[in-house]
Amino acid sequence: MAAPHRIDVHHHFVPQIYKDALITLGSACPAPGYQAPIANWSLERSLDQMDEAGIASAIVSVTTPGIHFGDDGAARKLARQCNEAGARMVADRPQRFGLFAALPLPDIDASLNEIAYALDELKADGIGLYTSYEAGGVKFLGDPAFAPLLSELDRRKALVFVHPTSCVCCSDLQPGIADAIIEYGTDTTRTIASLVFGGAAARFPHIRYIFCHAGGTMPYLIQRFVDFSGRDKAAMNAAMPNGMLHELTRFHYDLAQTAHPGSVGALRNIIPLSQILFGTDYPYGFGCADQVTRIAACGFTAAELASVDRSNALRLLPRFGTLEDRLQRPARRDEHVVEPATPSAAPARGVPTPAARDRAATEKT
Amino acid sequence: MAALTRIDVHHHFVPPAYKAEMNKKRPMQPCMQTWTIQNSIDDMDKAGTQISLVSITLPGLYFGHVEEARKLSRLCNDYGMEMIRNHPGRFGLFAAIPWPDVEGSLKEVEYALDTLKADGICLYTSYGDRWLGHSDFNPLFEELNRRKAIAYVHPHAAACCENLIPEVNESIIEYGTDTTRAINSMIFTGASARYPNIQWIWSHAGGTMPFLIERMVNLAKIPQVAAKLPNRLMPELKRFYYDTAQASNGVALGALKAVAGASQIVFGTDYPYRLSIEHVEGLAGAGLSTEEMIGIDHRNALRLLPNLAKLIKA
Repeated sequence: MAAPHRIDVHHHFVPQIYKDALITLGSACPAPGYQAPIANWSLERSLDQMDEAGIASAIVSVTTPGIHFGDDGAARKLARQCNEAGARMVADRPQRFGLFAALPLPDIDASLNEIAYALDELKADGIGLYTSYEAGGVKFLGDPAFAPLLSELDRRKALVFVHPTSCVCCSDLQPGIADAIIEYGTDTTRTIASLVFGGAAARFPHIRYIFCHAGGTMPYLIQRFVDFSGRDKAAMNAAMPNGMLHELTRFHYDLAQTAHPGSVGALRNIIPLSQILFGTDYPYGFGCADQVTRIAACGFTAAELASVDRSNALRLLPRFGTLEDRLQRPARRDEHVVEPATPSAAPARGVPTPAARDRAATEKT
Repeated sequence: MAALTRIDVHHHFVPPAYKAEMNKKRPMQPCMQTWTIQNSIDDMDKAGTQISLVSITLPGLYFGHVEEARKLSRLCNDYGMEMIRNHPGRFGLFAAIPWPDVEGSLKEVEYALDTLKADGICLYTSYGDRWLGHSDFNPLFEELNRRKAIAYVHPHAAACCENLIPEVNESIIEYGTDTTRAINSMIFTGASARYPNIQWIWSHAGGTMPFLIERMVNLAKIPQVAAKLPNRLMPELKRFYYDTAQASNGVALGALKAVAGASQIVFGTDYPYRLSIEHVEGLAGAGLSTEEMIGIDHRNALRLLPNLAKLIKA
């Protein structure tokens, strides 16, 4: 295998303090709890996986179920402890690891403090958020309750990694079908819709978002998104003065758990290649090398793969660049967007256009 | 008028007596209020649709009262049959049943398929907190399996997922998701393999299932899950049919083809929520080959509904 070059933006770390927290606090959490991949995680295993898969650098984050188990004080403490553990991993191997810092949301004030600590003191590479939070009912990221948080992240032009969780609406809906199968992807779609249609995406344009799992299910539902955006024109223009697609195509999307030619083809039909990032979801899935193999079967050319594996992420995380990277001409944002994902997939059709019909009069409620 | 070559499996009708009952609960939407048989026919003519298999859309038939659900199902089915009789060759029927009333539903299946000669049965993706693979449905599925019936499945926003995001209508995300839940339920409970003769049509290109295929593939690799899938995952997904309603674009259909194959895609419009011609135009721009288009227009549906072959003069 070539020298390690990949940048994995979706890679979890599980410090002992978090394992302990899941055992003590996690019983209050419906899902997914203390699973084998979490229990078995170690720094050495992460490094072995990265070596095997040619991953030069992994930006680590805390996975679902996150930090907050109902007690603000405990959440503040746990976020801080996880962030310090992550910062130590980074300090020990600054080129191998980066950190998306955890926040004790939905506690906004404590989260603003933690943003300052993580970005100013710990020099974290970005902030990790979850797709939804329980705060007097379920709230997605576009909810006005999160505006102070997004405002601060916008001011800092922060890199924000948005990880799914099983929404409080939708945990354990069906026995035998883990929330990860359907609900995680769906919750990512919901929070994208909340940010875009609620106006927060346009109002805070400097936040650089990474959404997991190829956008959840958003690409597959693009027709619904387009049709909805064509409805109440005044409201939509106010929420999205640059249009919906401007927002969707400036977000970044990782390929964790979605490396199938059909899914990747759908994503690529609406999202420029420059926005697509390598991600593994380690320690979930079947190992980092397996993810490399799966992505290789998704019809990318060698040049496109080089963008997905590394150079797209480098634009967000330039500190991982080497001299060799710096000697290369910087790629333009839309440079590689030419071809469809696979010869068998539909040619790039772009995005469906809403028909002229008055949507408001016809949409189901 | 263009040649009528299409079979629309996802087309709604609004019997006036049903509308009157629904309006008493909560006024139906404008496109429901203004629906007429002639409007349906005009929409079909414009889009080159020979025949539409009509079904009852939301809010469905059951509102907590068995007798009401039975009565509504019967009046809808009888009205559908009257449409078929009065407009020969233009309509078929996916009959309504009063589920979760088991006894009434089995009676209505018998009436619809034996007496009315309906083309299939319309189900919803979930009823309360039960998705279609749940063991509650076994008696119904036994009967549909015995009859090798077509089960056309229409989504709604599941009970868990109403009004989640203030700015976003439920149809945008939740309908598609509920179809995905029902498909996963059918597969991973083993119900799909246990009732192999039911011919399934899923709405809206399978909801979001094709995009989540890696998750399903990975789940199916777990030994105790695999044990419940004697036919394995992909053959089950590839025997289902998926309609094009609100998904007639290359983004979704490209992914659906990669999972299920173009042979499983059937034309559907969701009229009167959307116009049929929008779907024809969408499909024309979806990067499909001529063969694939013919398949979607009618040839794939004719495998499910061979009796309609005499109507299609393509």
